Amino acid sequence: MTEKIRLTTSDDQEFIVERNIIERSVLIKNLLNDTGYDEDSEAIPLPNVRSSVFKKVIEWAEHHKDTTFPDDDDEDARKSAPIDDWDKDFLKVVDQEMLYEIILAANFLNIRPLLDAGCKTVAEMIRGKSADEIRRTFNIVNDFSPDEEEAIKRENEWAEDR
Amino acid sequence: MDFSLSCNDTEDSKKEQTHRKIVPTEISDKLQKINTDTASEQDPLHHLNCTKTLIPSDNFGRYCYRHNPDVKCNKQTDLSKFEELQGTIEKLPRSEQNAINNIWSTFSASSSSNRNLIIQGLLTQCCFPQLSFISQEISSLIRIDFISTLPLELSLKILCYLDCNSLCNAAQVSKNWKSLADDDRVWHHMCEQHIDRKCPNCGWGLPLMHMKRAREVEVAASSSSSSCANKNSSNNFRAFTTKETSKRRKITPVDSTTNDPAQLATKNHRKTRPWKTVYSERFQVERNWRKGTYTNLIEFQAHNDGVLTLKYDHKHLFTGSYDKSVKIWDINTGKHIRTLTSHSQGVKSLVFDEQKLITGSLDKTIKVWNYHTGQCISTYRGHLDAVLSVDCHKVHIASGSADTTVKLWNVESRTCHALRGHTEAVNCVKIHPKSMTVFSASDDMTVKMWDIGTQKCLRTFKGHVGQVMKVIPLSLSKDYDLVRDEDEETEGENIVEEGDQEDQPEGANQQDGDNENEPELVDLSDPSMNYPNYILTASLDNTIKLWDVKTEKCIRTQFGHVEGIWDISCDTFRIVSGAHDRLVKIWDLQSGKCMLTFNSHSNSGAVSCVGLGDESFVSGDESGVVKIYNFDVIGN
Repeated sequence: MTEKIRLTTSDDQEFIVERNIIERSVLIKNLLNDTGYDEDSEAIPLPNVRSSVFKKVIEWAEHHKDTTFPDDDDEDARKSAPIDDWDKDFLKVVDQEMLYEIILAANFLNIRPLLDAGCKTVAEMIRGKSADEIRRTFNIVNDFSPDEEEAIKRENEWAEDR
Repeated sequence: MDFSLSCNDTEDSKKEQTHRKIVPTEISDKLQKINTDTASEQDPLHHLNCTKTLIPSDNFGRYCYRHNPDVKCNKQTDLSKFEELQGTIEKLPRSEQNAINNIWSTFSASSSSNRNLIIQGLLTQCCFPQLSFISQEISSLIRIDFISTLPLELSLKILCYLDCNSLCNAAQVSKNWKSLADDDRVWHHMCEQHIDRKCPNCGWGLPLMHMKRAREVEVAASSSSSSCANKNSSNNFRAFTTKETSKRRKITPVDSTTNDPAQLATKNHRKTRPWKTVYSERFQVERNWRKGTYTNLIEFQAHNDGVLTLKYDHKHLFTGSYDKSVKIWDINTGKHIRTLTSHSQGVKSLVFDEQKLITGSLDKTIKVWNYHTGQCISTYRGHLDAVLSVDCHKVHIASGSADTTVKLWNVESRTCHALRGHTEAVNCVKIHPKSMTVFSASDDMTVKMWDIGTQKCLRTFKGHVGQVMKVIPLSLSKDYDLVRDEDEETEGENIVEEGDQEDQPEGANQQDGDNENEPELVDLSDPSMNYPNYILTASLDNTIKLWDVKTEKCIRTQFGHVEGIWDISCDTFRIVSGAHDRLVKIWDLQSGKCMLTFNSHSNSGAVSCVGLGDESFVSGDESGVVKIYNFDVIGN
């Protein structure tokens, strides 16, 4: 029988997760190995993660429990790999707030593949868009003066039309 | 009337904060510690000054994105929404205004969990059109400026996934975005992905421009000869940059095509430029190449007789001619610098480095020159017929001759060995320094690979149906993804159909039969030997062929010229070819496709020699005309 781990999220919800699943989080994995967690131990607090976000993270980890990801050190392979199809759909349906929090949670919990997928998803939201479209996508106010804007536009013209 | 939509999230979060403080167990302390540790480790801000105002990630545990006092970008939108609402509500009868305001203020004063209750209650009462309205409103409300508000290292990570056009658009979004999208770390990564290699994601590769950089450094003390050492230096560059990544914080954007780390260390005082500029400059050169828009063309009558050979680097262009002379030109202006005379017949081949020039002549001799003074230092005799090709590496000189031999001269030990095997004139020899092998291309339509140490023939490449004029060994990385021909069986027939083969001898197909009787191939799989994995050959059968060195098989044939090809030259991205049809063609090395065709020699004669640089190519023809095409960015 696999060991179960208890964790509490920032909004005080308790989760019981199988050890092999939560160990996708390198942070938790190291913590469990370092402190020697057992049945009687207190639940592990996750002060930076809301329950609804944690649910998504667990959903992701459960789906990927048998996936082997490219080696962490192989920057090139990780970078050029397209987003896993399931991850793409998984992250596509969430709103920006959830995506934002999933990225922060994956960063905090140290789950490289999820963090990569999250960052790639944001990159895809930017890719191929004009500055104006990017502003609309993320609700950003243009804080350049018209002169500055013109200068910066000229400065970046070289990349167009390749 | 008083209309407020104030929010008590801050109070709410204070509650949460105290809440959190109730559980400081041993574990949570440890967790916090790990958290801050990793944060400081990953955060390059600890070591670099950056203009970005970093919002402590901690802040986001306390506030939601919308009510975070540090996030300003959405406040303006919210404000205009308030004003809009205010305007609408003021048009309503007073009693309704009161009712609505009551609902809002009740909501406003409620705790977070009660707010959720209220929302849920409202939602259950909604008609579907109202739910649809909510859903639309929400999708336009939940928009987050990821790049400005995520921790710095994550923002940079996201930007590193983008292509250069998207990055340049991102730089125009806002001040915050500009500082991040222009960040040196992002562009250093871009340079790593593209310079001197094809990016696996976008298929673009950018020229190394080693020569160009060398020009900017006042006097590159003892830098290796750029023309012969090009392959070497490119590899060094990659090794150097990867090394740099591992200690990311030390990145110095010395415009570092400086490929020698030792040299880099001594030259740290040198002018440094942003990686984005480095990238942009190369990008524009590459685009010029791809579109065929050269920014400068210098053409001149270099010799009064045919130009037989040419070589150049960032300063000098050397041309050898039937008129028995070698001339040295300023590559940037086309100005004549010096003429070397001493050969009694045409100069068919030459090779040079920083100190010396070596020439091979139809007068059967090889001469070594101090080209700075114009003095002929020594003359090597031994070949029984015209010397058609020379190459050199350190103490070794290789020569190919019409007497069918390849000779290896050791300048230090004063020894000379002949490599016998070809049955007709040897048109080209090329030393591959890393594996200490030499390649030879011959009129007998074959190309041979020899071990310099043992002087044994390691490979014989058969397949051309005309004299082979040139061979170039290539060491390409595994992920280079060369396009191969699908069906090699039919290629012999194709060539015959092409016609126009004045030089093609009869019975070329008999060669295939010989193959089966040959002994087993010498094993070349030892990676420590650094054998080149491919060779590129050009022949008077009008084709350029790419061969797999390990299997001895031709894996690609490039058609396009309608008469024999006299010369080719190549780098990591391109092949330039000059042919009897008076055309110069530029080919993509990876795909084998012809990208550009120049017919500028059509009025003067067959193109007998070509040279290729990062931002230029040079062609010479049988009437003595030389043309320098430059694809560099204007103004550089």
